[in-house]
Amino acid sequence: MMRRHLMVLLGLLVGLSMVAAACGSDDDDAGGSGASDGADRPAIVVGAQDFGESKVLAEIYAQAFEAEGWDASVQELAGYRDILLGAFESGDVNFSAEYAASLLEYLNGDDKTEATGDVEETVGFLDGYLADNDLVALAAAPGVDTNAFVITRETADELGIESLSDLADKGGDLVLGAPSDCETNAFCLPGLESTYGLDLSANFVSIDDGPSRVSALEAGEIDIAVVFSSDSTIVAKDLVLLEDDQNLLAADNVLPVVSTEIDEAYGSELRDLADKISAKLTTEVLLDLNDQFDNDKRDAADIAKDWLEEEGLVS
Amino acid sequence: MTELADLLSDPRTWWGARGLVHRAGAHLELALLATAIAMALALPLGIAVGHRRRGGAVVAAVVNVGRSVPTYAVIAILFPITLRARFGDLGFWAGVGGLVLLALPPLFANTYVGMTEVDRSLVESARAMGLRPLQVVRSVELPVALPLVLTGVRTAAVQVMATATLASVFGYNALGSFLLEGLTQQDTAKLVTGAAAVSGLSVLTDAILGVAQRLATPWVPTRRRRFGRSDRAKSAPVVSGSALGPEGNIA
Repeated sequence: MMRRHLMVLLGLLVGLSMVAAACGSDDDDAGGSGASDGADRPAIVVGAQDFGESKVLAEIYAQAFEAEGWDASVQELAGYRDILLGAFESGDVNFSAEYAASLLEYLNGDDKTEATGDVEETVGFLDGYLADNDLVALAAAPGVDTNAFVITRETADELGIESLSDLADKGGDLVLGAPSDCETNAFCLPGLESTYGLDLSANFVSIDDGPSRVSALEAGEIDIAVVFSSDSTIVAKDLVLLEDDQNLLAADNVLPVVSTEIDEAYGSELRDLADKISAKLTTEVLLDLNDQFDNDKRDAADIAKDWLEEEGLVS
Repeated sequence: MTELADLLSDPRTWWGARGLVHRAGAHLELALLATAIAMALALPLGIAVGHRRRGGAVVAAVVNVGRSVPTYAVIAILFPITLRARFGDLGFWAGVGGLVLLALPPLFANTYVGMTEVDRSLVESARAMGLRPLQVVRSVELPVALPLVLTGVRTAAVQVMATATLASVFGYNALGSFLLEGLTQQDTAKLVTGAAAVSGLSVLTDAILGVAQRLATPWVPTRRRRFGRSDRAKSAPVVSGSALGPEGNIA
């Protein structure tokens, strides 16, 4: 009896290992053909932060790389910049679509503001900090996604507020809802105070979940919400985007960032392809991609696939 | 380390709307209310179903839905709905809802198992002596089931205490806010402070309920308590004053 059980177990084990071996050799074949036009190159893992735009952009770059026959995949991080940079450091990801000014202000420490409205200048400052982290910035996209301060149409009409200067004049007792990093983010509370002389730190509520921030705004629990400027809900919900008339917000252009290891392994092949994609990512494109993700509830991978095909970036 | 010392010596870390004292209070308020509501729902249900000794699987399946749905998702779904409530702090009621669902399974399961594990012959003897159903529950079944019921309360309360941080993602200004700020602001000192406060409260909850459990069920040997459950329930003698008297031990 005991022996029979052992035989069955052994049989199962042999069977399983044969299946595993078969799968393994399949993978080897695929890898072999993919790498045939180059030496053994490390796989590209594109990190996606936990919001729609980052997920769609990650899929766009990853799918374009895959179409070249490279081993590329998307790693969703379920968190934001802090998690992404940790994943870069640990080697779990080695490519990601970041945002120039915000990344610079994140890396350069709390006490100084270096980012400007000029993307070249901003990336110039950023390069040094990236090098310290074994990272390289590729060419920035024309599309910008920065922090945006929005209020409801009713609040805007009632108080006559259209710009952040108006807000500083008339909205000192309004409640601001923003992600937790707002307290120290140069383009949030500290920036409002230094550029507009508006101190909202006493009436600030942190809501980290993006859609919940908009529901809280609509329900009147908060009066001003921080959203992404490429967020399609601004148009969909008829929110008023407060004009940044004193240029607080800086050049938050989409900026692909890659580890030096990948950059060296793929060289100009990867740079050329990434640049070709980035050049087509305008603010209008970002709004459209986000609209498909947020309002049409489409899958990030499908949105990316369709866009790449429409733009003729993959065949 | 110096950053942590700096943070802790800053009065703003302790006082004011974003300070530890206020946030710990808000955290306790949320966790205690959620535990209380879950107890009010699950204990009577567990006692009733356990007493009938029927339908347990069905009720357990329903209650266990709470365990399979992530608390985060429940809070996210409840958030827009509770915005209409207009009372309670932002994120409070959504947090209560999510945490109640989290606390139901351990409360119900322990109560139900505790009740069904009461020896049938004991219940039948009580009935034969003329006890009404409610008297059987109160004087025979509940005292025997009590150790397990209290274990359920303790498990649920500690889980809720540790998970209540999630409400802060949805605007509830409490201890979870320290964790979120610590993460997004790259402020390890804040992160450590928040984590220490939350685990401190969880450990404290466990300790207080542990003592309460011992006081409420003095007949359960302390050592036994740590081992097999069924063993414990069966070895518990009926409290004196019950229908069977002090000698009515089932062992």
